Amino acid sequence: MVERMTKSKLQRVGVYLRAALRLAGRAAAMAIPRGYAIALFVLITWTTWMAVRYLVTSLASADTAPTQITNLPTRLDRAALGAERSAFDALDAAEHPRSPLAHYHRLDNWIRPDPFNDCTRSGCHGPLPHSRSQDVRAFLNMHATSIHCGVCHFNSEHRPRKLVWYDQTTGRPGEPPAILRAQELVTGPDAPARWKKADASDQRELVRLIRLAARDGGGLRSLDQLADHLEAYRVGSRGFEQVLAEAPAILRRHCRGEYGAKLAMVAQDGSGPQRGHPRTNRAVSEWLANQDTTDAELRARLLNAVHPLRREQALNCTDCHAARDSLVDFAAMGYPREGIERFVAPTLFRMIEHIHAGRPFNLPGVLEDDTAKPPGTRP
Amino acid sequence: MSRSRRPYVLVNQLIRIAVLSLAPLAPVMADDPDNCLLCHQYRGLSRFDEATGRAHLFFVDPEYSAGYRGPHARLACTDCHRREEVAVIPHAAVTPVDCLRQCHLSSQTGIARDFSHENVAAMLDTSVHKSEALAGLEFQRGPLLEPDQSRCLYCHDEPLFRDPAVAIPRFKDHQGHVFDRCDVCHSQAISIDIEYYVRHIASRFAPARDTLEQAQVCAVCHSDPVVLADRALPNSVASFGRSFHGKAALLGDSSTASCLSCHVRAGDNAHLMRGADHPDSSINPVNLADTCRSATCHPGADPAIADTAVHLDLPAAHGTLEYALAAMFILLTLLTFGPSCLLVLLDLIQIVVGRSAAGEARVHHLARRVLDHPRGRRRLVRFSVAQRIQHWILAILFTLLVATGFPLKFADHGWARTVVGWFGGLGTARIVHHWAGIALVVGFSAHLFAVLRTFVRTARRSGGGAEDYRRTWLAMPMWITPTDVRKTFELLAYLLFLRKDRPSFGRFSPTEKFEYLGVFWGTVLLGVTGLLLWGEQIASHLISGRALNLATIAHTYEAFLAVIHVGILHIFNVVLAPRVFPLSAATLTGRTPVDKLVEEHGELIEDVARDLGIDEGDPAHG
Repeated sequence: MVERMTKSKLQRVGVYLRAALRLAGRAAAMAIPRGYAIALFVLITWTTWMAVRYLVTSLASADTAPTQITNLPTRLDRAALGAERSAFDALDAAEHPRSPLAHYHRLDNWIRPDPFNDCTRSGCHGPLPHSRSQDVRAFLNMHATSIHCGVCHFNSEHRPRKLVWYDQTTGRPGEPPAILRAQELVTGPDAPARWKKADASDQRELVRLIRLAARDGGGLRSLDQLADHLEAYRVGSRGFEQVLAEAPAILRRHCRGEYGAKLAMVAQDGSGPQRGHPRTNRAVSEWLANQDTTDAELRARLLNAVHPLRREQALNCTDCHAARDSLVDFAAMGYPREGIERFVAPTLFRMIEHIHAGRPFNLPGVLEDDTAKPPGTRP
Repeated sequence: MSRSRRPYVLVNQLIRIAVLSLAPLAPVMADDPDNCLLCHQYRGLSRFDEATGRAHLFFVDPEYSAGYRGPHARLACTDCHRREEVAVIPHAAVTPVDCLRQCHLSSQTGIARDFSHENVAAMLDTSVHKSEALAGLEFQRGPLLEPDQSRCLYCHDEPLFRDPAVAIPRFKDHQGHVFDRCDVCHSQAISIDIEYYVRHIASRFAPARDTLEQAQVCAVCHSDPVVLADRALPNSVASFGRSFHGKAALLGDSSTASCLSCHVRAGDNAHLMRGADHPDSSINPVNLADTCRSATCHPGADPAIADTAVHLDLPAAHGTLEYALAAMFILLTLLTFGPSCLLVLLDLIQIVVGRSAAGEARVHHLARRVLDHPRGRRRLVRFSVAQRIQHWILAILFTLLVATGFPLKFADHGWARTVVGWFGGLGTARIVHHWAGIALVVGFSAHLFAVLRTFVRTARRSGGGAEDYRRTWLAMPMWITPTDVRKTFELLAYLLFLRKDRPSFGRFSPTEKFEYLGVFWGTVLLGVTGLLLWGEQIASHLISGRALNLATIAHTYEAFLAVIHVGILHIFNVVLAPRVFPLSAATLTGRTPVDKLVEEHGELIEDVARDLGIDEGDPAHG
């Protein structure tokens, strides 16, 4: 009897189970077309809304000029400096977009804010941070495009400094910039021998580096053009040799700090670039909240808290621009040997010493550029 | 010599004369004798002035002088900046450059030539942009120039030579290495002066800037809200961006008319631009027609073309015919597209709530019996082979027309330039658009001819009397009949849950008939207005310039209506609708699936059954 009852119960459970499964199956079978219908409903409603909105605004709202014409950095204010190139539609719409009005000189490219520099992205310092010394502020800012603040302003006992390149699009440590490697390939002491026996793979590598350099520099047209020309010829052909002969001068003109990468100190734990003062988020917030304070003691305390790695005295120019005992091992950092010679050349060294000592000097006598072309030659 | 070659020969001769006459005077001092670029080549050489909130960039692109990229490339920095100020490093405060300063272009031969822009300033003072007009300009973002900076900078940045190939197409072959050919004999011994001057002169045969760059220059003032309000000026840059010329420029056409093409008299220069009320102004109503009909623009046009509004600001044009027409088209779009869209959305709701109208069992049964009939299957084919072929030709032409036309409508959107790029640029895209339009009109005419032929034949078969023609005309299958209207309301009632049964239609549903008639109306309207706009010079002899404005408005709004109707509703009906996804078989085979046929075209099944003599209860045909 008990057995029969259990059996009938089981049968009933089985029936329910089957019914539930059938129901679930049917629901699932209905869910797909229903979901599809809902998706279509949303899509059609949205598209219709956009179309109707366009129609109404085309007649009802005031005309605005296309941003490809108007959205240019006409005034170099703080907002313009902090914006990415992509924020200005008009810069890429025309081949030679209008320069910022007060600048006059061509500025086809744009200043790139460093999204990984904690000193500037914290809101404490601007992208052109040096302003105190009227004589040297522009020279110091000049370095900010390729050198992180910490290289000069962070404490370190290492001599030369332990440095690393970090990518300005990812913030991660990387190889030396492509432009430097490309320049070394064509101007290094072994360049003549290398290109005498070069093959297609050498050509590909050089073209790759130059294209990378063009991209890293924010879209440098003449580098792209150089890569096009290098790629167009067969290695060893007269055409290739001609273009290769032009390459050093062109590359040299682009080794000017727009590398898409920056040199930074290696973090104390060796984990990567030291892009800011470690563990100072709270201190930074506190400082930003109180930066207008007139309480000198509070000010000093807060500034000390946000700058745990700060050197008392920033490095001097000649600490690095020196033929001997430079704090930067330029060769190890991938700088082309030709470039290093220029960095530490006596001419430049002398000039820096003059500026540093506050001794103004006149133009032509001091500066002699060995690479200047003789007049009357073709570019 | 062919006519087309004459300008280039003339240009070549001019270049030779210029080279021979100017070369001895050319300055040879290389780009940067003082080596200023040692520092100034760095983009970061800059500072931020907290007091004014502005950055000062001291960057000078070395490519400019090294590549001899512009007429100032061979000037030393001290030709513009005062030597006594910049020769000392670090520089003290530097006086802003005076563009009217006299400089001395010296040559290899030692012959010096004085040069100054003073005469240009004198010209400018007679123009609409004279000193008083530029004084006291205020901008939305604050002052754009430093105090005491030259006002030339409102319009001028460092001038560039344009690619010589812009003026002399044959130079395109040389890919920027125009002089490499000379090296064959001269072994790079040709003086840089020659190349420099050829570039300079060749560049001057074309406008100094392309259309979009020119618009960027003018937009500095003419689109700034504060300047426009102060000077009570219209936003000309916005309306230019809406015009054909502006859109072509946005799509990369550098040869289309720029601001200067209209606002500067032929043969004059931009510094002599006059206001519209000046009798010498190129846009003075007396001269405007000749400006439009200049040799490089619309030479064969009637003076009436001047009535075409280049700066038509539609939202601000209340009370004009153009505004009324645009409003009418918007209303038309809402009234035609709106109800169709509502039906589609309500249809989707039926699926979401799980409501289905499978059709009457009787019609299902009848359909099965019709399909079993030897001629039944063929009779249920809704679209003939010829109709399917016409449909696909129409689909291809429509797609081409949209792909080549819509980028122009939405030229300020990033995707527009990409789509135009697929066709190789605006020039080719326009050719494709024109010929696809011609093909559409020809196809439409052929279809119309076939319809009329069928109509006449049918009327004749019916007796050929006037009454037979009238009846045949009214019985043509694509007319929307009162029954269609009634059934459409019944369908709406069903979709709104106000009625139990879904109404069924004949061979063509009212929606299909509506779409068909929409193609009729659209093709005629778009074809006629398209031809007027394509041949604007001929059209200007037939109609007024205002009519071209109206044609533009009609063309663009009707095209938009067509695109949303086809792109949203038709694509839903034949591609995305759950019962036809991924593509309605009817577009390929002409046959509609039985379920859909029973649900939507029950009357067709009944008509065919009646024709074939199939009785609903007749088992002999079962």
